[in-house]
Amino acid sequence: MSEILTPRERFGLLVIDEVPDRVPLFPLLTSYAATYSGVPLRDYYTTGETMARCQLQAREFLQTDFISIFSEVGILAEALGSEFIYPEDDLPILSRPRWRTLQEASDHLQKCSNPDPSSAIRHFPGQTRFRVYLKAIDYAYEAIGDRVPILAYIPAPFTTAQQLVEPEAFLLGLLDSPELILQLLKYTTEAAISFSRLVIRAGALPILVDPLASGSVLSPEQYQQFALPSEKMVIDYWHRYDLDVVLHICGDTTGIISLMPATGADLVSVDKIDLEQALTAVGEQVRLIGNFDTSDLWLATPAVIEEQVEKMVLSGKGCPRGYVAATGCEVPLATPRENLMAFVRAVKRAGGYDYPKH
Amino acid sequence: MSYQDPQPARITFEQWDELFARIPDELIDRFHYFPPNSFSWSKYLFPPQTFAIYGARHLRRLKFDNSLASLRLWGFVNNESERLFRARQMGKRVIAVMGDLGPLAVIVNSFPDCIPFYPDCWWWTPFAMESKVLLDAAASLGIGEATCFSRAALGAFAKHSYFPDPDLILAATGASCDDYSGVESLVAKLTGRVKWVETPLRLSGQNEQLIRFLVAEYHRVVSALEDLTGTRLTGTMLKDGIRRANRVRHLTSRLRQLAYQHGVLPALETMMVEFGCLHYYSDITEWTAILEHLLSTAEFRLKNGLLVLNPESLRIAWLTPPADPLLLCFVEDHNARLVATEYVINQALSIIDESLPGLAGIARTTLAGSLNGTSAQRAELLITQARTNQAEGVIVSGILGGSHCAMESKLIAQHIKQRHNIPILEFDVAPPAKEVDRQTRTRIEAFLEVLRSRRCQKS
Repeated sequence: MSEILTPRERFGLLVIDEVPDRVPLFPLLTSYAATYSGVPLRDYYTTGETMARCQLQAREFLQTDFISIFSEVGILAEALGSEFIYPEDDLPILSRPRWRTLQEASDHLQKCSNPDPSSAIRHFPGQTRFRVYLKAIDYAYEAIGDRVPILAYIPAPFTTAQQLVEPEAFLLGLLDSPELILQLLKYTTEAAISFSRLVIRAGALPILVDPLASGSVLSPEQYQQFALPSEKMVIDYWHRYDLDVVLHICGDTTGIISLMPATGADLVSVDKIDLEQALTAVGEQVRLIGNFDTSDLWLATPAVIEEQVEKMVLSGKGCPRGYVAATGCEVPLATPRENLMAFVRAVKRAGGYDYPKH
Repeated sequence: MSYQDPQPARITFEQWDELFARIPDELIDRFHYFPPNSFSWSKYLFPPQTFAIYGARHLRRLKFDNSLASLRLWGFVNNESERLFRARQMGKRVIAVMGDLGPLAVIVNSFPDCIPFYPDCWWWTPFAMESKVLLDAAASLGIGEATCFSRAALGAFAKHSYFPDPDLILAATGASCDDYSGVESLVAKLTGRVKWVETPLRLSGQNEQLIRFLVAEYHRVVSALEDLTGTRLTGTMLKDGIRRANRVRHLTSRLRQLAYQHGVLPALETMMVEFGCLHYYSDITEWTAILEHLLSTAEFRLKNGLLVLNPESLRIAWLTPPADPLLLCFVEDHNARLVATEYVINQALSIIDESLPGLAGIARTTLAGSLNGTSAQRAELLITQARTNQAEGVIVSGILGGSHCAMESKLIAQHIKQRHNIPILEFDVAPPAKEVDRQTRTRIEAFLEVLRSRRCQKS
């Protein structure tokens, strides 16, 4: 049965503190869209039109409320000089970070009189997947942009920084060379802003994803010292455009959930955290997005999924600022279709609000 | 805070983004709707990119004036939907006024904390979004392609997501658009709570009688608003409402004059200015401030010889608003400019006589307006302006499916041909699309060629 509101109308009401017909539906259908369409992953993330078509097909099938332009978080690091390999049936894999050590990165950035990442971005476009992203956004926007918000995932500065330097060196640097980390973060923050401007012009709503800033990697103190300030700078920039900003951090965010609103995010997307706990911590300040366990989505039966999702939605609807029913992280590639359909059914059944029929 | 307008120009969507990057944060923070409130959500100085991201796809293809005042105008116009919801959240009464294009809003606006808006204006939405969503919603309620694009208003009512459910719906019928009267009837059926107001056709020799009739109708409107708000409308309140409406109309009149006589503002922005006289984009105080800003920009440009349009470009008069704003850009891209317009909203542009009793003053202006007169009278309104500003051609755009357009466009064209030796182009505006359709494009181009060769012959 057709619904009274389009996804865009539904989201539009949510972000101006009005109650829509039901909670928006947002399983993080990223690279899964390729699996759904039977397209090799490499084609998905190297061809903009393919990425968009897969997204459109998956959305058509599931009738979700957003299009997700995304493959993985390496896109910005790659544009800034890290090297990735492109397996046919897997997502890009970081093969060589731009710098081996933080000191090398620092020396390079100091040597450049103006280490402007936007010029780096301009320098690299032939070799990066920026064009893929922008083409995908444009294609999806022209196809369905009047009815469905197009979301483009932008890797946060902290996550990008980790992919520019050898991981071990970066993690040790958090402890013994914080000033070098901050210097690198300044660079990646500018890069994220430059990239997001292209995305904004193309018609997509940028959302900030910072998987490597999760509680599984950083302590709350480290999050506050390194990741949060750079997230805030990007979000502040997006607020110049009056955009409703989503911040997504995967993994366990229990320790940092109360810090996340300080980034300025309007909607906070969470993964492995008790939803009630998140709601109590930040529900008065931000809209919550989350957080069905993606392992369950992959491995549980449809009946179990429906039951659990209903419970989650009823809990999420208690969020005073509004709620979006989502998966905690990206939908696993091997997720059975019937499981996703169970997720969608349950959200639509349990997510309704009292809304005029006509 | 330093920001100076660049050399006047019509710029693209991408160019506005470049320009916006130079606008200081303090300036973005300065402008709020519903002043003197300054909530974080009431800012509106945002570029076309913001609204494109939220679905206004047409913005990517338009050309805009590059002044700060125009950016302010666009930001304000584009967030009207949000503003109406916020008005409700702030405890204001939101009143839908329909069909009379201007006068009822003056009365509503005289009541404290009452916000009038014309759902009629949602006819722009399918074009702004390049979308059939609202038109499909209207079709599902029984009004399809054989009707004017104003049917989008019905779709908007049905969805409850473009404006809050109004506290009161006032619908004018009689001397109004035929199709829109049909839309109003369906809104009445949908909502079950429309208060009808009859607006009569102007008839020679019966003016005083008709004014008395219209004043009686307006008294019913006042009573409905008094019942709703619990506030009695005093003469002073009404006078103040009229004075504020007249302020908007004076500013608009001067801006039209500067734009059409001197080319200091493009046609698109000038059209948005004209339509602001209908209901002030739901916030008369801020809209007035925006008009003042635009006027100071226009006067500065004129004083310094900074024109945005080529003064030598072809001079065009345009009759009936082109539902698709891209058409105005298209004409200007082809080195022509508008020097006269008759958008059927003359009753919202004319100054209300403040020496008369309030409702009588409004009624008199209403009856003299373009909506309440004959086709010939509309043609005369345009001819007067066209002569003053030496228009070289007239474009009459009809609305596809608009029942009155099929007949009226012909009558108007005939009248203009008989009275004024000037070439005329007539066409119907096509349904929402991302570009001007090929046939219309060719016809406009050919028409402009004709005007160019006529000019050469004369010279």
